[in-house]
Amino acid sequence: MTLDGIIDASRTAAGGLKDFATGLVHPTLRLGVTGLSRAGKTVFITALLHALLNGGRLPLFEAKASGRVTRAYLEPQPDDDLPRFAFEDHLAALTAPDRHWPESTSRISQLRLTLEYSPRGFIARHLHGGVLHIDIVDYPGEWLLDLPLMRMNYAEWSAAAVAASREAPRAALAEDWHVHLSGLDPMARSDEPAAMRAAQAFTAYLARCRKDDVSLSTLPPGRFLMPGDLGGSPLLTFAPLDVAKATEFPAGSLGRLMARRYDSYVVKVVKPFFFGHFARLDRQIVLVDALTALNAGPAAVADLKLALSQILACFRQGSNSIVSGLFGRRIDRILFAATKADLLHHASHDRLEAILRLIVAEAAARAEYSGARIDVAALAAIRATREANVHQKGGDLACIAGIPEAGEAVGATHFDGATEAAIFPGELPEKPQAALDGSLAGALKFVAFRPPQPTHGVFPHIRLDRAIEFLLGDRLA
Amino acid sequence: MSAKHRGPKAFVIDKRHAAAAIEFTADQPSRELTVTPPAPLPRSRTMRWGMILVTALFGLVTMWAGLAVTQLIENFFARSQALGWAALAIAGLAGFAALAIAVREIWGLMRLKRIEHLQADAARAINHDDAAAAGNTVAALRHLYRGRHDMAWGLTSLGRHDADIIDPRDRVRLAERHLLLPLDAEAHRIVARAARRVTLLTAMTPAAALDLVFVAVLNLRMLRQLAGLYGGRPSTLATLKLARMVVGHLAVTGGLALSDSLIQHLVGKGLVGRLSARFGEGAVNGILTSRIGLAARDVCRPVPQEASAKESLGSLLRELVTLNEGTGPDGREGQSQS
Repeated sequence: MTLDGIIDASRTAAGGLKDFATGLVHPTLRLGVTGLSRAGKTVFITALLHALLNGGRLPLFEAKASGRVTRAYLEPQPDDDLPRFAFEDHLAALTAPDRHWPESTSRISQLRLTLEYSPRGFIARHLHGGVLHIDIVDYPGEWLLDLPLMRMNYAEWSAAAVAASREAPRAALAEDWHVHLSGLDPMARSDEPAAMRAAQAFTAYLARCRKDDVSLSTLPPGRFLMPGDLGGSPLLTFAPLDVAKATEFPAGSLGRLMARRYDSYVVKVVKPFFFGHFARLDRQIVLVDALTALNAGPAAVADLKLALSQILACFRQGSNSIVSGLFGRRIDRILFAATKADLLHHASHDRLEAILRLIVAEAAARAEYSGARIDVAALAAIRATREANVHQKGGDLACIAGIPEAGEAVGATHFDGATEAAIFPGELPEKPQAALDGSLAGALKFVAFRPPQPTHGVFPHIRLDRAIEFLLGDRLA
Repeated sequence: MSAKHRGPKAFVIDKRHAAAAIEFTADQPSRELTVTPPAPLPRSRTMRWGMILVTALFGLVTMWAGLAVTQLIENFFARSQALGWAALAIAGLAGFAALAIAVREIWGLMRLKRIEHLQADAARAINHDDAAAAGNTVAALRHLYRGRHDMAWGLTSLGRHDADIIDPRDRVRLAERHLLLPLDAEAHRIVARAARRVTLLTAMTPAAALDLVFVAVLNLRMLRQLAGLYGGRPSTLATLKLARMVVGHLAVTGGLALSDSLIQHLVGKGLVGRLSARFGEGAVNGILTSRIGLAARDVCRPVPQEASAKESLGSLLRELVTLNEGTGPDGREGQSQS
């Protein structure tokens, strides 16, 4: 174990000890909502809070359905150095006359939800009287991409990034950056303007890769795409150089400058983010936007698979014991959720779940091996569509109906964001492998819908209650 | 090296002769729900002469009764027209009643059969997440409880989730929670009440032979109540069949197994027994009744239950010993009062 490793382990342990002590008096559950950008983290958190606070229809969340949850309310979050999750603003965006999905998240925020319930067990009822605090953190999904950087040094990361950019879907997008890269000599004297130009060219390449038509996911460092409050800081002024894995840079060289900045990025940005929020999770829901990746093609799906397995390898999963509870709890339940399941007819949900299983196969196998319980579900925290059957020659089509967002198009039909339409998005393959081998080209088209009007003050959803039951149910027993 | 050392060995499984020495363990995961099949009713292997005898005698008696009634009516007609008509009307009424009873018996047996099918469907839906089976189960449950006013609330609240997208397994569980959970509490009360009565009556009856009758009568009444509660609508024949099924269930699940003997020892011969021998016997009979009640619940409940029978037996026994009225399952009501 390296010195770094020991320091990191003691950080986790110290946090765990603190959690253990506070948990004795105030039982707290840290719910990790994990997902890359645009996977639907903010919408999920908003929908979850709204459903629990406003008596949403959650028939499968046993504690709520049987009336054991007596009260649910928001509390000031425990960490004073974090902004509050703007629940009311996001809700306003979803319910305003020109309702729209919340803007993409650009900074970290936190919220504490408290549930008062009547426990079933005799001891629980008399020990803490049935109060559970649930801490939820929202953050830009791009930042998750940084987690794998903790396990690499600069030269390793450089080599990997450059090698990846020379492969099929990326090579075309990276042309400009490659031109710039070929003009840089890692061993030359360090030069600030050169470093800045390199970072700009690299950022432009990353941003290009993220566009809808390619929808790639493995695009570290995350702060380049979503700088938060670090925009323009020297921490973000570095880029990969075309070097081999084990290169040593001489003092004063451009390579040395880049390596130093990379190291400070990992130490000052990535690690505080990870140890502050992810090292001590109790439960985790991994939101995966498989449909957007399917829209973009097999390369995007494969890239998503890679990104997720790299990120999830950073979390501490496994079953808990009394001892592990003292030195940093592990995540003992993980729900992999394919979000935006409302863009599909429910008859296809099983196939979507099969594709998700394939995408997270490595991560799920690792989690299960370490003793954590996992589940996979097709989920829509807020259901924007209804289901419809379209009768036509050659059999009925199982469609979904809703109001597509302005600018969306299926074939020659363009939508203006005001008319309702029934859409058949294509058939998901029976064998999930087809999502990776490219045989689906052009067979699928998922369009984004506008948020629904809440009926009787609650949002419709798909399997949100099942997700809540899996994540929280046993803690409310 | 001791002589007991066992070396590696292989057993070839020959399909032609079934190897008696190899017993395969069922590869059923432990978490799966199992519906205990009703015990096969014993069949005589010989030609059924007895059956033929009984049928023939029954036929003769029926013919005789028909003849006697016809003659009776004819005699009445010979005596007076009015008396004849009256006798004919009364005979018609009796015939109609007999027919109604027969129909009801058959109807009762059919309902019992339907619950068996329902159990299999529900177990399939839950174990395999099977959409078709789940749809059948929920529809059948609805049909079963359609006309009952005490189920109206459950049916309405279940109906509110019809349009939701819910996985098959969860849909059955949801229906179970809305429809069967209230019934479970009632079933628990029925069993507890019967057990308590059996205990007290056994303790107080003067003659040993009498309590046998009491136990039998009270148990049969409990069976009918349980079956009626879960929608079996029991008739005489159905109750008898149910009783056989319950006994079969007990035999299959080992409900009357010797593991109980310890409890019986403790309760019957131990503390309670020291206080009074009769009361000890009463407690043993009470435990037996609880056992039978739980088995009957398993047989009658349309959706097989996950909760272990052991747990419920424990809470039943506690109630039996404390003789505490009005405690629900899990002792929830009793504790909330404290």
